[in-house]
Amino acid sequence: MLIWSTAAPAVGAAFLASLVEVVEAFTIVLAVATLRGWRPAALGTAAALALLAGAVLLLGPLLNHIPLHALQLAIGILLLLMGMSWLRKACLRSAGIIPLHDEDAIFAAESAQLGGAAQRHQARLDWIAGMTALKGVLLEGLEVVFIVIAVGAGGGLLLPASLGALLACALVLLVGAVVHRPLSRVPENTLKFGVGVMLSAFGVFWIGEGFGLDWPGQDLALLVFAAVFLCAGLAGTAIARTPARNPVMELAR
Amino acid sequence: MSLLKEVGAELIGMFFGDARLTIALLLLIAVAGALIELTGIDPLVGGIVLILGCPALLIANLRRERRAIAPSRSAA
Repeated sequence: MLIWSTAAPAVGAAFLASLVEVVEAFTIVLAVATLRGWRPAALGTAAALALLAGAVLLLGPLLNHIPLHALQLAIGILLLLMGMSWLRKACLRSAGIIPLHDEDAIFAAESAQLGGAAQRHQARLDWIAGMTALKGVLLEGLEVVFIVIAVGAGGGLLLPASLGALLACALVLLVGAVVHRPLSRVPENTLKFGVGVMLSAFGVFWIGEGFGLDWPGQDLALLVFAAVFLCAGLAGTAIARTPARNPVMELAR
Repeated sequence: MSLLKEVGAELIGMFFGDARLTIALLLLIAVAGALIELTGIDPLVGGIVLILGCPALLIANLRRERRAIAPSRSAA
């Protein structure tokens, strides 16, 4: 039977992470559709989804042949590396050290790139547009697939995690169909921060389980880990935002 | 071929955003694993090292980033 305290973090992590990735993919598909119509955009998207589904069908059954502790350890390490990378980037963006992700700018850049290609290769334009949509959906979709497998496979939660990802896809498509423009108002950095916290917490949890460690409180330990990473992320952002002392400038004063 | 290259780059970028942080995390995991698997102490000690070490590494990395951009900001 599915335990809600275990499934909820998996659904939440898969939903939030997928939301970030699907918004990015949607921006690229929308740029293609705006410039060349929905046909190449839809064909490119469908081809990418077919490739992703093929990869899942091909690789998914292999997971059953890997010993559980080894699988938990491998997935835990990858989740921790990915989660910390997202958290670090979100902290640096919050602190203003690196620029925020801008969907409007990405939409403009993709449109300009396709416009340039249109002048060079008029005859092959639909092909180029379709490939652009395929690439965008494939690259962002890979992350969704990994996150769903990572948060789901270690604890038999593939179904709830897939549900979280599907809900995110449905939400982005619904909102996208209504507003018909890049979803630039999505608080992407806040989402990335939250996802980084959750993935890192899952990562530490699975690494411990992979080493055969019984965490006190079992699944509830995930909440404590998330709180630790949340505090670390907030503290790290505050530290990164504080201007560093520059000894050269201080000597010059 | 370029699509495969981009897929490969995306996969690597997913896990290795910052080389220093990645290496530090892998070392921390190795230390925690050694404490759990190879020593006779309570395995929970290894877990505590892991859960406290990761945030410490993140904060150290962010502090380093702040210091790294300080000269370029003051020069600008």
